[in-house]
Amino acid sequence: MIILANGKTTEIAQRTDDTEHLWVRVGDLPDATGWQMKPQGMCLGELCVPLPDQRVEEWIADAEDWVWMCYSEFADMIGQQYARDGDVWSLGSVPDVRRSGLEIGIAPDFEVTERSGDTLRLSDFRGRKVVLFTWASW
Amino acid sequence: MYESIGPDRFELISVAQDSGDPKAVGKWFDRASPTFRCVIDPTHQISSLFGWVNVPSAAWIDEGGTIVRSHEGAYPGESTVRFGLGKVRFGDNSFAEATRDWIERGADSEFVWSSTELAERLKPVDDDTRLAEATFKLALHFEAVGDSERALRHFGAAQDLAPDNWNYHRQGWSHRGALYAGLKVLKRTSHLQKNTDKSFYDPTGLPGEDYRRFTQPEWLWTPAVRRIKQLLGRR
Repeated sequence: MIILANGKTTEIAQRTDDTEHLWVRVGDLPDATGWQMKPQGMCLGELCVPLPDQRVEEWIADAEDWVWMCYSEFADMIGQQYARDGDVWSLGSVPDVRRSGLEIGIAPDFEVTERSGDTLRLSDFRGRKVVLFTWASW
Repeated sequence: MYESIGPDRFELISVAQDSGDPKAVGKWFDRASPTFRCVIDPTHQISSLFGWVNVPSAAWIDEGGTIVRSHEGAYPGESTVRFGLGKVRFGDNSFAEATRDWIERGADSEFVWSSTELAERLKPVDDDTRLAEATFKLALHFEAVGDSERALRHFGAAQDLAPDNWNYHRQGWSHRGALYAGLKVLKRTSHLQKNTDKSFYDPTGLPGEDYRRFTQPEWLWTPAVRRIKQLLGRR
């Protein structure tokens, strides 16, 4: 199964007894989705979303020797849109993160590869003025 | 722009938003002999994060990581693109001049926006917009793995969900080739100009901006047609 999220493509194991929903092994969550399961709930950076008690049993399951989380149900709860074609799932941006950061003017951080092959993170330029410019050949 | 303002005074990150062969984008970078940072963003991640729906777009980010201006139609200067029997002129120097002012004067620049102004100018994002983003990225994935049929299907779905997103239209159309994409842009801009009050970009509001709702091509025969119209108008 392939997950497209945060500009990354991640191939992860698929739960074979329920292919209708997006089940992700808890250990794969950070790499595949950016979210991490913590005692206080699901966390993305400093944002933490508690999981509703009545849902925990449904959304977290032991199966096939692993602990899985039903990510598509969680995405529905937080309003994260996703599109699917076969075993490829594409996750849209997380509404709270995308909107709240921009609304108060915080530049969203990102990581991309320079032509030189080096990794460029926007946050590495703190302390300098930055002009970020997009263009395309088309 | 980068060299004339002063490379030691700011960081310029030039992002090529192209899903195709990196070599195709590379020749554009090489032609510019860049001394600034050059990256390729094949999944349009940065436009998604900054809420941009067209290119060129730009943001000024201050030393503390705050966006102090962000808009589309941020041409670094005036340029002309030739194709067949026509040419299209783009841009002006207003963005470069305003950028120079911000680099020199920082927060005192009259072109700096407050966070309130920035929030007011953000394009609305609804569930369709977010679903379009996920769908567009699905299309890019299938394009990258060579599944053209599924790529085109998802490009089309993303365009339907977010009809004002020129990035989705133009990247999707370019899957069928540059000529096809160019003709589709002409057809769509002509349709929108005649039938709607939409524009290719919002005005930037910068002094000296040569704003046009849509940029129409100038064909080889355009000056002659213009002259004939002038003569007929005098009668």
